[in-house]
Amino acid sequence: MEKADDMVTPGELLGRANDLKPGKGAYVASKNNTIYASLTGFRRIQPSTPGSPDQRPIVEVIGHKAHGPVPEPGSVVIARVTKVMARTASVDIMCVGPKSMREKFTGIIRQQDVRATEIDKVDMHLSFRPGDIVRAVVLSLGDARAYYLSTAKNELGVVSAESSAGATMVPISWTEMQCPLTGQIEQRKVAKVIS
Amino acid sequence: MENKQSSSPASFIDSTVVPGDVVLDLSSMTNQTIKLGGGLRQDCDAISAMKAGTLRFLKPNKYWIESSQKRYVPCVEDTVLGIVVDSKADNFLIDIKGPTLAFLPVLAFEGGTRRNIPKFELGTLLYLRVVKANFGMNPELSCTDASGKAAEFGPLKDGYMFETSTGLSRKLLGSPTCPVLEALGKKLSFEIAVGLNGRVWVNAASPDTIVVAANAIMNSESLSTAQQIIMVEHLLKNIQ
Repeated sequence: MEKADDMVTPGELLGRANDLKPGKGAYVASKNNTIYASLTGFRRIQPSTPGSPDQRPIVEVIGHKAHGPVPEPGSVVIARVTKVMARTASVDIMCVGPKSMREKFTGIIRQQDVRATEIDKVDMHLSFRPGDIVRAVVLSLGDARAYYLSTAKNELGVVSAESSAGATMVPISWTEMQCPLTGQIEQRKVAKVIS
Repeated sequence: MENKQSSSPASFIDSTVVPGDVVLDLSSMTNQTIKLGGGLRQDCDAISAMKAGTLRFLKPNKYWIESSQKRYVPCVEDTVLGIVVDSKADNFLIDIKGPTLAFLPVLAFEGGTRRNIPKFELGTLLYLRVVKANFGMNPELSCTDASGKAAEFGPLKDGYMFETSTGLSRKLLGSPTCPVLEALGKKLSFEIAVGLNGRVWVNAASPDTIVVAANAIMNSESLSTAQQIIMVEHLLKNIQ
């Protein structure tokens, strides 16, 4: 594999389609059979996969950090609850794994994905409130508007929440958190912190 | 303007408070369970008022603030008058004079199934009960009482609906019967439905009766008992 060399910008000519195959960040303009870059980054030419009928090396554009991490199905994300409705809760995904995102993605936690047991008796208002920070796992890419998330495991759920008095609450059990200032207990679906 | 000399809690009961007044000091009352109703908030050891109104106390331990507004804050188990604004697949969207529209599930009627979903025109007036009212979520309503029976809930036909403040609605529903309603009831025959969200519906056989009843109720908010009776007599003189 050759080392990445010059910096290219979108629209820059990378090579001819006869000699090279476009990879990530590059595309073929069919009218004149040339390969142009579509992203900003470093051009890298990789030898073609052995055994494939097409023996052209692959040219790609790499090294750009413009997008940041993107949630994939199965990844654990940290999100903040924005809206709680009768059967769903809307969240803003803020971190994927240990990395924080550059832009917020919207996620939805459906009533049946809040916990693993008695899923039809879930009261969304007793599981999340607007402003809570939750740890969830991405179920699927969902629809155009939001990822589908799930908190149906012991270590998933509300990680940090503020009480109506304004103090950060302390978890007591997997369904309750207590405010240290007033002593009021509020119900949430609490994540088990595994140390 | 008189000055309040003492700051003991007893001096605030039944008097007007404004937001920020510390009405109870918990450090002087130990080992008691106190129930706080609407308009009061706990800040560590001090209970302070959040709304402007009168502080009320019910033995042994209930405190709350009574006030009258034009806006309605939905509470569970309130009976309200709602107007149908839209209908979706699972719910009707109802305006109950609150911060958001409320949802009336399509099946929340006595004997309601997917086959006999009622068709309400936009603008239909309904007498409803609030089932769920959480902060930040749309309230959920129902046309049945807690045991599933219809119990007078549902659409109100004919008649005339007018808006009042929430305080007047509570007075009209209080017991013993509000003086204006008693005075009207002695001479006229009419029926009313009072919503705690500040809406009142009146129906009677003739339009004259409806107008007199509506005007009498609207005028009665700030009058004392004797003044209400005099006002009702005055109005009734004009139609007889």
